[in-house]
Amino acid sequence: MTNLPLSADGEAAVIIPRKMLRARRTRLLMQIMLGIGFPCALLFVWELLAATGTIDRRFFPAPSETFISLVGLLQNTGERQRLIVDIMATYQRLVIGYGIGATLGIVTGAAMALSAPIRFSLGPLINATFPTPKLAIFPLLIVIFGLDDPSKIVLVAIGVFYMTCLTTLSGVLYSNPLHRDVAHAFRIPAWTRWFRIVLPAAMPSIVTGLKLGLGQALILVVSAEIVAAQEGLGHFIWDSWQVLNVSRMFIGLIVVALTGGAAVLFGEILERRLVPWAA
Amino acid sequence: MVRSLRRVFLTRKGASVEALSDVSLTVRQGEVIAILGPSGCGKSSLLRILAGLDTDYVGDIEWGLRDASDSLDQRLLSATVFQADSTFPWMNIEKNVAIGLSGLNLASDDVNLRVARYVGLVGLTKFLHAFPHELSGGMRQRVAIARALATEPLLLLMDEPLAALDAQTRFIMQKELLQIWKKTNSTVIYITHDIGEALTLADRIVVMTARPGRIKMIQTVPFSRDRDVIQLRAQPEFGKLESELWQLVAEEVGSSLEGSCVEGDK
Repeated sequence: MTNLPLSADGEAAVIIPRKMLRARRTRLLMQIMLGIGFPCALLFVWELLAATGTIDRRFFPAPSETFISLVGLLQNTGERQRLIVDIMATYQRLVIGYGIGATLGIVTGAAMALSAPIRFSLGPLINATFPTPKLAIFPLLIVIFGLDDPSKIVLVAIGVFYMTCLTTLSGVLYSNPLHRDVAHAFRIPAWTRWFRIVLPAAMPSIVTGLKLGLGQALILVVSAEIVAAQEGLGHFIWDSWQVLNVSRMFIGLIVVALTGGAAVLFGEILERRLVPWAA
Repeated sequence: MVRSLRRVFLTRKGASVEALSDVSLTVRQGEVIAILGPSGCGKSSLLRILAGLDTDYVGDIEWGLRDASDSLDQRLLSATVFQADSTFPWMNIEKNVAIGLSGLNLASDDVNLRVARYVGLVGLTKFLHAFPHELSGGMRQRVAIARALATEPLLLLMDEPLAALDAQTRFIMQKELLQIWKKTNSTVIYITHDIGEALTLADRIVVMTARPGRIKMIQTVPFSRDRDVIQLRAQPEFGKLESELWQLVAEEVGSSLEGSCVEGDK
């Protein structure tokens, strides 16, 4: 390795990037392999513990058992249809609630940042109610919006609202003050200032709120469905548990986990689209 | 023209601190004035007032608009180049310069012409569609300079625009600033704490006192505008003026340090 061909300068220059490329590829490969490999190893340990009877198979069925019952469920038309209905019900509540909550949160946060009277009026209220577990007000929401979808959608919207409202507010208030100075020193009109300077400057923070809101929304919708619902993933999980069909419950958990994973991926795509300069 | 400008701050405890006291200054058209002084002497207060960023002051600013050709929907009263990187990372260079013109009443063709002209003047035409993070610190500062020049301001304000750059880049930029000002015939107020830079760039140097900021003296720089940044430093007069100004500034730095000790004792 040490005696690089000195005759041609170009060759060393070719060898170096090739080495760097190889190192980068190795690293990426390691990242993917560990990311998949480690959870697989955990599943393997679980399988082993179940097979040797170290853990109670009634409550912690071996991964292979869960897989077999998943295949069985997917082959059974009625069961499969049932799962799809539950997934669609949850996703519908998620999307609508998230959309409403995120929109209201960003608008309210921006309004609070823009106007001191609005900020002084809403600030204490929002900060005081923010740490309340949102599920604790679900009974009230049921009283107001009924047992059907609206109460769950509103619950999701409230959770997302807090996340996006607070990150939008702090994003605008604490973004680089120099950008605001430029806007004022150059007499940039209010509209242009807001949409081309203030909001983009706050965008990294807003996107953080949108990403946090995704997780929050999923937690809330599944929790609400466990408490009170006739369909949805939360209902699917709780219903399975109540008839002690534990491997069916695990199927529900897997779907929720995959949804969460997809949400994280969606958040990252969102971030790359909305704040390409911060990536 | 600035007449008996006075600026008072409130501290957190509610006490008032006088940042500027009775500052009067007349800037001639096409003149470059450097403002020199210890930190905390009110240089930035003066700049923020002139930039329109600060409106709580007493005193008058007369802009000396003489005729209708100084029409203000085509140009700004003042445009500022800040010390830190003030480019917007979400816009390319073209838009970074164009947004500075959005407060003016210009047709979009005129906006494009101005952007092209001033981006060209700072030598960044090739980077019109690049984003700030793809440029070096010096290049980003040139974008900020182009943005300010494009508004064709009556007064160009520069707040230690080269302070964040490395020594070599600063040197090159000083040279370029002299050339640019010659082409644009800008009237400039240039804030700096670098005595050599003040002598290199300015026609007159205003030395300020420590808090409250007053004008201590005004030094006319004897070099012609066709000066050469390198040869200038070899002239005996440059060294002489530099050490004289050092003396003046050193007195003020000393007194501002004493002042802060007294404050600390209270």
